[in-house]
Amino acid sequence: MSIDVLPVVRTLTQTQLNAYAEASGDHNPIHVDEAFAQTTPFGGTIAHGMLVLALVGEMMHAAYGERWLTSGKLKVRFKAPTRPGDTVTASAEAAREADGVAEYAVQCANQRGEVLIEGRATVSAA
Amino acid sequence: MTSTARTSISAFPRGHEFDASRFSLSAEQVAAYLHATGDAGDYGAHVPPLAAVALGLRALQEQIALPEGSLHTGQEAEHHAALRCGDELVLTGRIAQRSERQGFVISVIEFEVTAGGEAAVRARATIMAPAGGA
Repeated sequence: MSIDVLPVVRTLTQTQLNAYAEASGDHNPIHVDEAFAQTTPFGGTIAHGMLVLALVGEMMHAAYGERWLTSGKLKVRFKAPTRPGDTVTASAEAAREADGVAEYAVQCANQRGEVLIEGRATVSAA
Repeated sequence: MTSTARTSISAFPRGHEFDASRFSLSAEQVAAYLHATGDAGDYGAHVPPLAAVALGLRALQEQIALPEGSLHTGQEAEHHAALRCGDELVLTGRIAQRSERQGFVISVIEFEVTAGGEAAVRARATIMAPAGGA
């Protein structure tokens, strides 16, 4: 059956963006070069979408453990940029359960309530 | 069709298959990923699936150039088997969908990470890139 999935709340910093760039190999200047990023429509650096999405993975793994690693599915849209200093809340709301699969509506939102990521996560509930 | 040099994503047609990439994720790399994401969870010797997806995307970027103004607008991932640090991984990928709208090319890159010949992670990344971007 579906279990409660606890939110993950984290404030992302430029230091974290830099560390993620190193860890993932994604050194796109929009994430790590403030001078460059100021010349773009974003007006400053933004977090890697996959860094923000990692909060959803962390949240689902905390709830389901190895089941998430072997049966989890995610389908999301990146809807808005996340900026250094934003406090991001990843949350999941149980949507339905059928055929032994639990489905959640997942999202990441910032401290202003803006939705950054939105989508669905499913995992074997057995 | 395969490629060996970096080409703008907007230039790849639907159905283009990328060269297979081989890689592995060490315990140190996974620790660096978890530190960067702030994830203090206990994964044991396992690799967080999204780490495999992120590194898979990175491997594909050896062949794909993302022009300035490109945006990662969507992501799907399916986990089929837990990956372990040190596993020999093979990544295969292709352009599953391609469309053009208002000066942008929207490409869906579909890729799979296998370990020991078995699919461990399947993923689809949607990338919006300026048409004709270098």
